[in-house]
Amino acid sequence: MAFSNILSRTWNQFFFTGFSGESLGLLRMYIGCGLLFFHTYQFATVLSLNPVGSMYYFIEPIWYFHLLGIQYHIPALSFAVYVVLMGATVTMMMGKWTRTSILVVILCIFYLKGVRDSFSGDVHHRYIIPMQMLFLFLLSKCGEAHSRDAGHGPFPPIQEWEASWPIKTMQLYVALFYFWSVIAKVRVGGWEWFSGEGRIQEVLIARSVRWGITDEGELVKNSLSFELAQRPDLIQIFSHLVLAFELGFPLILLIKSTKFRLLFIAGVTTFHISTFVLMDVNFLLIPFVYLIFFDLVPIHQWLKTRAWPLFRRRPSIAG
Amino acid sequence: MSKRTVTLILAVYLTIIWAAVIFRIDYFPLTWVPMYSVYEPRETISVKVWDKDKYRKGLKVTHRDGSTSYVSYKDLNIPQPNFRRLYYSRIFGTAPPKHKQGNTELGAINRWVRGLEKDEPRFAVDWEWRMFWTLNKTLRHEPSDAKFIIRMEADHQKRVYRKEDLLRQDVSQVQIDTRQALIEWRDEWLPRWEHGVL
Repeated sequence: MAFSNILSRTWNQFFFTGFSGESLGLLRMYIGCGLLFFHTYQFATVLSLNPVGSMYYFIEPIWYFHLLGIQYHIPALSFAVYVVLMGATVTMMMGKWTRTSILVVILCIFYLKGVRDSFSGDVHHRYIIPMQMLFLFLLSKCGEAHSRDAGHGPFPPIQEWEASWPIKTMQLYVALFYFWSVIAKVRVGGWEWFSGEGRIQEVLIARSVRWGITDEGELVKNSLSFELAQRPDLIQIFSHLVLAFELGFPLILLIKSTKFRLLFIAGVTTFHISTFVLMDVNFLLIPFVYLIFFDLVPIHQWLKTRAWPLFRRRPSIAG
Repeated sequence: MSKRTVTLILAVYLTIIWAAVIFRIDYFPLTWVPMYSVYEPRETISVKVWDKDKYRKGLKVTHRDGSTSYVSYKDLNIPQPNFRRLYYSRIFGTAPPKHKQGNTELGAINRWVRGLEKDEPRFAVDWEWRMFWTLNKTLRHEPSDAKFIIRMEADHQKRVYRKEDLLRQDVSQVQIDTRQALIEWRDEWLPRWEHGVL
């Protein structure tokens, strides 16, 4: 009985406290803004195709294309879906027809990601976290604050528990995502994955040499990766850092200090930038989701009162 | 929604995402985060070298009438990175990383859940057949057409480094291998033609 009480108290304390309706509305706005860049970056290759060119028959359709019997690509349709996706992301940001907009965004991502990943069968994982967040936004009352929809009220004020659970679940998912990646590495590659002469060295070499060597024997690209690959002692340090940060990611849920959270997130962001530069691992824009670890109300206030007027200030006319 | 309903939703949600991890489900939007997890210690590191001019020219193909031509990413209207994967991997029978991640160290429970025998792979795809199907279908060639593709060729260089040399910071010791792929159409695939890859 006592155990179930503790469990229930901890559950309620974690999922149902910490954020206001305003925080939830602002998070929807800022994540929407980040998604506008993210979508374009993710689907740029699909948008580089000829809209009236050949209809490619997928070599390995993604599981839901398989299920729906989608075998080929209609290039013009992808352009249309991209336009709808961007439009729906903007309306989601503004909080106009919020739930419908989120649902449209989800469907468009499914389609465009399906197209991109069915061309050659390589499935990328960059949309997994944003998709979980969109799903939680869809279930939440995020459209009732900082939104056009709020004008159609009156809605009862969003309770703390109603605002907190979607954000806390997003936080938990992101923390688990990194934690699970350690589990996966150990399950499949064993602890040797983290050794100086392990997987990291392999990727560093592969990613630097694959672009070729010039006639003078120089690497065409990524020479820094190649240099680093020859230093297993350094790689060992980096791999231990990766292990520590991925295993320790759930600890962020316990950190109350905003400064420490910021420091942690800066570390994770550096990690993603480094893996992009050195290893071509393209999670470069994913740090925009880390906004979920902060209450955006004071940040938004600061932007509105301090930063925004700087942009609006007109140059004085010299007399 | 009441607090009780939300608690129920959260319990179901957490169960599903953890089940995906335990049972190694990697179907978007569920995952067990297997990216870059596969590592098999080896004495050597072997790297494909991309030749821009070559893959931009495309795959060399022979048609049923005996003529030859090249099929490029522009002909197929797919992004260059994806074509690169066809050129350097699929034609050589190499599956995408997702398949290797799914097949490696599957474990007894996950084999049992999927009804797999001891050494049976979870993902097994006949890439040769798929290459012919994809290219011919996209270019609108039917098996009876004179322009139907019956042979495809690609080649690339591999640089092979010995770890021992790398540890000594000696990168001059590199072995260069040339790999060639040549795949040919088989008439036994004809019954599959209408079904495609589904």
